[in-house]
Amino acid sequence: MSDKYFIEPDINFINEVKKLGGDSLKKCFQCATCSVACPIAPDNKPFPRKEMIAASWGLKDRLISNADIWLCHQCGDCSTLCPRGAKPGDVLGAIRSYAISEYATPKSFAKMVNDPGKLPLLLIIPAIIFIVIGMITGQFSFSPGAGEIVQAKIFTPLLVQIIFPILTLIVIASFGMGLKRFLNDIHQNAINSGLTDKRLDIGGVISGLFKILPTILKHDKFSECSENKDRMTAHLLVFYSFIGLLIVTAIFFIVLDFFHIPGPYSQSNPVKWLANISGVALIMGSIMMIKNRLGKTDQTTSYKDWYLLYLVFGLGFTGMLTEIARLIGLSGTCYISYFIHLILVFNLIVFLPYSKMAHFVYRTLAMAHAEYIKR
Amino acid sequence: MDKKYSVYICTGCGIGDNLDIKQLCEVPEEEGMTVKTHPFLCSKKGVSLIKEDIANGTNAISIAGCSRRVNYDVFQFENCIVDRVPLREQVVWIMSRDKYPMPTDEQKDDDEFIDPPQFAAADYLKMSIIKLQKITIPEPYKTDTFSKKILVIGGGITGISTALDAAKAGYKVTIVEKQDTLGGYAACLRKQIPYQDPYEDLCPPIIADKIKEAEANGSIEIKTGTVIARIAGQPGEFTVTFKKPDEKIEFDVPYPLPDEMKVDENGKEYDVDKLAEIYAEYNKGKKDILTLDPNGELFGAVVLAAGWRPAKLEGEKYNHLGVGSSSDVITNVQFEKIASKGKIVRPSDGKEAKSVVFIQSPEQEDDADFEYAGAITSLVALKQAKYLREDYGDGKAYIFYQHMRTPGLSENFYKNIQNDVGIFLTKGKISSVTANGNGLIVEADNTLLGEKIKVKADMVVLGAGMVPATYDEPVVNLAYRQGPKFRDNEIFDEYADSNFICFPYETQRTGIYAAGGVRRSMNIEESMEDAAGAALKAIQCIESVNRGTSVHPRSGDMTFPDFFFQRCTQCKRCTEECPFGALDDDEKGTPRPNPARCRRCGTCMGACPERIIGFADYSIDSIGSMVKSITVPSPDDYDEPPLRILGLVCENDAIPALDIAALNKLNISPLVRFIPVRCLGSVNTIWIKDALSIGIDGVFLLGCKHGDDYQCHFVKGSELAGIRMKKIGEALTSLALEPERVTQFEIAIDEYNKLPDIINSFVEEIEEIGENPFKGF
Repeated sequence: MSDKYFIEPDINFINEVKKLGGDSLKKCFQCATCSVACPIAPDNKPFPRKEMIAASWGLKDRLISNADIWLCHQCGDCSTLCPRGAKPGDVLGAIRSYAISEYATPKSFAKMVNDPGKLPLLLIIPAIIFIVIGMITGQFSFSPGAGEIVQAKIFTPLLVQIIFPILTLIVIASFGMGLKRFLNDIHQNAINSGLTDKRLDIGGVISGLFKILPTILKHDKFSECSENKDRMTAHLLVFYSFIGLLIVTAIFFIVLDFFHIPGPYSQSNPVKWLANISGVALIMGSIMMIKNRLGKTDQTTSYKDWYLLYLVFGLGFTGMLTEIARLIGLSGTCYISYFIHLILVFNLIVFLPYSKMAHFVYRTLAMAHAEYIKR
Repeated sequence: MDKKYSVYICTGCGIGDNLDIKQLCEVPEEEGMTVKTHPFLCSKKGVSLIKEDIANGTNAISIAGCSRRVNYDVFQFENCIVDRVPLREQVVWIMSRDKYPMPTDEQKDDDEFIDPPQFAAADYLKMSIIKLQKITIPEPYKTDTFSKKILVIGGGITGISTALDAAKAGYKVTIVEKQDTLGGYAACLRKQIPYQDPYEDLCPPIIADKIKEAEANGSIEIKTGTVIARIAGQPGEFTVTFKKPDEKIEFDVPYPLPDEMKVDENGKEYDVDKLAEIYAEYNKGKKDILTLDPNGELFGAVVLAAGWRPAKLEGEKYNHLGVGSSSDVITNVQFEKIASKGKIVRPSDGKEAKSVVFIQSPEQEDDADFEYAGAITSLVALKQAKYLREDYGDGKAYIFYQHMRTPGLSENFYKNIQNDVGIFLTKGKISSVTANGNGLIVEADNTLLGEKIKVKADMVVLGAGMVPATYDEPVVNLAYRQGPKFRDNEIFDEYADSNFICFPYETQRTGIYAAGGVRRSMNIEESMEDAAGAALKAIQCIESVNRGTSVHPRSGDMTFPDFFFQRCTQCKRCTEECPFGALDDDEKGTPRPNPARCRRCGTCMGACPERIIGFADYSIDSIGSMVKSITVPSPDDYDEPPLRILGLVCENDAIPALDIAALNKLNISPLVRFIPVRCLGSVNTIWIKDALSIGIDGVFLLGCKHGDDYQCHFVKGSELAGIRMKKIGEALTSLALEPERVTQFEIAIDEYNKLPDIINSFVEEIEEIGENPFKGF
């Protein structure tokens, strides 16, 4: 409808958000304690009070295009102080889940990623892809043979370079389309709610991105929370370990392709140090996160939270296991664990736009946009 | 009665430390009365001291010690006149020895010296002694005939519940219902607002069971298709005439003449005979109120449970809500009717209504709800929203409110409704309801969603309020001279009530108690609770009248106004001013008292210019003599005589406030002498004249607040006193006295901290004016 004042509650949307962990959303009676309690909500039109009423009225379009849901770091201060147990933090988390699925293309992928029943499929698909492409190209071997244990014997770096960059490009392309829509939507939403009258300027958003980088790197927003401070350490560990491992992987392939020096590196190599430190940090961080979630009975934890947590832990664990098995000479363990590791990497990269992992893209973009419109 | 006097002075609680008790004892001794002192008079030993004397014939006792509001049960002696002298509260606690040091020996010998607390204590003792001499032991008033039956007007849920409760307590009850069947509105509901734990879900209506229960109860007589023609007489012996609705009979109640018929074309009031003639013409065919219906039925008390009718939403102020322009804009009562018949459908075309907007406030200027709305309209909107959701899984119910009132446990219901995915609640101001094809569009401003919003609706339901039955007609049809309806109920928007907070169920007519929707907008559960309260009140009334005592607020008071008719001038002031319509004057204008209707406030006594009305223990003479017994230091005896101020203080709220001020040791000027009165309405101006004539320099009246939020126990006391004060001001001016010497203050019971300032400022004002020129005459 063209009239922006017209509203049409979407009962299905309410039910979906309830299923995604926002089952308390209708309890809100609009006292706005949450908006006052929130340490990071801006002074002008603070969240999450307005998101709560929009959610209980089922105003889907208003919510998923609302950048504010991404400015929330779900620290939980609001949920703790809510006099009605409406858990605004969890509701916003559920709305974010919904928004991720909504902006993802194709949507069937999103459905699959968020359906616990489809978990085996998520693991089998990459295995089949690996084996099929590997067999066709001859870069995959079921019998690495004896001798020095080198992962390349079963799954060559070339195969990795065939599969993952292509996948990444496909992911970036499809994610990019969703993100463009997202950026347009959040900007239109900001105009509609009177937060800005600027035109959307990508350059401006990018310069906003640079301005907020220190905030992200230092996890400044996290440290403003009082309720879930312990989460910050875990998140920092995982966050930096991913950056460390990204650097290690990049160096590995650059060195391999341009200097033709293959792995595995010696333990004295500084790159290996970084790899090992990052690997340990990843395992520690993910264990802390899982422990945290298990300990918090008042916070809703849905399947998508567990999927991501165990995926991250699995990545760290299989990576480390592969290395240790190689060093102590357990060839079978090493190769199997490496194969699983690659399946998990596939999950991480390919399902990025559909899983909770996408939050880092949406949140970064929303923060950059907020910086751009001086929210 | 032959009186044998005795005075007891308690020296405990600091009285003995701060006053010269020996000197004080001289006051009664001079009158030839025995005086005894005791350090702890309210102890067993102290009381037995008094009891011994009573056994030896003492029957008029003055107890000087604490306020009469404490230890009243300790100092209660049968067949004795007991007066209490509050030396503690009105002398030692408010006249600090820090401010008024104990006199030195030198000062004691000085005739010119006045020790203010000692002087005050002596005055209070003198007042008590004269009071004992002037009052007598009251004898109970018994009605000629007497019935314990209770009449319940209205056969809805409230009336039936009242009848059942009263019957359970052992009383016979008659229910009168205008309609041909019992049940009232409660019988028209699909479901009820939750009335049982956990107060979350709608409940099945209970009325059918209640009707069966009432019909099966042998103590309950049910008269359907019947209304009240008139209720004559007084509590304990109300004579009630029934009739069919719309029937005209000779015992229909006559109406008093409207003001415009009392005057001729020049605006001059007709004389008595002419007025009687017009009155007879105006009420032709109706028997006078003093004629009792020989076939009337006798009842002891009446419970008015006539209920309510839905407010009519008509006129321009509802135009923006689509009232009148769309048949799909209906009231909550109309919606209930649709819901009780089946699925929710639109009135216009009978199609399913799946999107319904409930509007709770019509206002555009302020945030007021519909007239006569309340918590009930909020709860009904929630209930009806739930109906829609019961009928349609994809139904959407919107509630736009300015106030969402869900008191008590109904908060659980609100929470439950709020949790329904298809019910949408927001505060908001409705700007318009307009047609949109077959449907409607509702536009609201300033909502919780932050801005103007519009929603599509199949139907709009307005939260109309509950108008009390007494808005349209008197219902009770009282054969009282003051008229057939409750007086001055405009301030309660015609709800039948007298003092909502302090005296629930009471109306301004003794023996007639209101319950349910006629008293305020309320739900079924509340109405049933109300019914129990009113039933108990009716029983209290019957039993009090049976004992010959007052019902309330002076429960147990055995006195009643006594008239010395030989001197009555038929001025009718008492008949007109009685807040409870207790007096019916006859055709000559002589008042005919109905003591059982009386609440013993003494307003008639205050009104009577001939001063012929009094009570056994409270009369013009008793108070007047107390005033005159106050020692006024005159210029003959003192170089600089201190001023003397009289305070006539209402015993309902002002005396307690004074006691609390004393308890907090707040200093109040020792120049003031307080005399408690039953109500400021009972203050006769003669007392003020008495005071001024003996040289008292200023008089103030201290009573309850009046006006819209009046707190007067007797409804009109302070208001009437205010009018009389204005008149006395004029009289003072004619005597060359400053009108400022007499004034009236209002105080609430909890405003004790304001008292010292009010009183002390008045004393300062009088000091500025100077002494009363009549002093010493």
